[in-house]
Amino acid sequence: MTEQRHHLTPDVIRRLTVDPHPWLSCDDCFRLVDQYVELALDEGALAGEQMPAMRAHLAGCAACREEAQTLLALAAADRGLAAHELEDAERAFSS
Amino acid sequence: MTAISRSAGSHPAPVVEPDDWVARLSTPGPGRDAALRELHGLLLRAARYQVSRMKALVSTLGAERIDEIVNQSADEAMVALLGKLSTFEGRSRFTTWAYKFAVLHAAVEVRRHAWVGREIPLEQSAEPWSSGPTPAEYSEAAALSAAITTAIDTALTTHQRQIVIAILIDDVPIDILAERLGSSRNALYKTLHDARDALRAQLIATGHLPPAQSTGWSR
Repeated sequence: MTEQRHHLTPDVIRRLTVDPHPWLSCDDCFRLVDQYVELALDEGALAGEQMPAMRAHLAGCAACREEAQTLLALAAADRGLAAHELEDAERAFSS
Repeated sequence: MTAISRSAGSHPAPVVEPDDWVARLSTPGPGRDAALRELHGLLLRAARYQVSRMKALVSTLGAERIDEIVNQSADEAMVALLGKLSTFEGRSRFTTWAYKFAVLHAAVEVRRHAWVGREIPLEQSAEPWSSGPTPAEYSEAAALSAAITTAIDTALTTHQRQIVIAILIDDVPIDILAERLGSSRNALYKTLHDARDALRAQLIATGHLPPAQSTGWSR
């Protein structure tokens, strides 16, 4: 797969050094992600303060983050929110 | 969840509220069949949306194959969801809870397709960053990059090093690597968690990360 090796770019360095605490498994992330997404729609970045293990996991697990962001968009559409209205909620998904 | 109506004589009949998905899906009868069809429609929509967000990974596929992935993902999500129906606690809307099953199955299926036939060599070393926008940024980044390369080489076990390089540097999806190694997403994430702890401890000890740093670099 790796004809092109990835180097330690700033983004890779962030991925390597992001604080992984508090611990949360991928299974528990899946169990809680619907709750977190709706909290993010209600509270924006404060969702991360209320559920810090979810914030840490989504900052450190690209697959879970990718799926959570899709879920956020679907839940937002159900509320009638447009993409540009998601800025606050998306802050709960950044490290 | 299921209200009981006493309006129909002495035999109480269950009345299922239209938005009470758990009751609708649990109560035998035509209402359940309708709820199952409606739920499958929701899962199809969520799966299709997830696949569309990952379209770069399915760009070589025709519309028919993409439809197969969407339908297969929705079907698998339906089975998984119904098996977990009793665990729904109402902490989110039912639809949000349901979508996540389809999103997961669709994302995993797309990643699986994208990595079919691709080898995943487990590397033992990373390469420092070799460019920067300005000389000052280059110098700072190069120093940190070198320290991280050293930490990867010295602070991690062989297994941690291989997993870290594959997932965090070479962008191998965690679920794909888990499949190839006969492991699980949970197990590999735990490996990443422990490896990050080890890397951070060494970088803090060498002064390359401040002790209080909680998030690493901004994107």
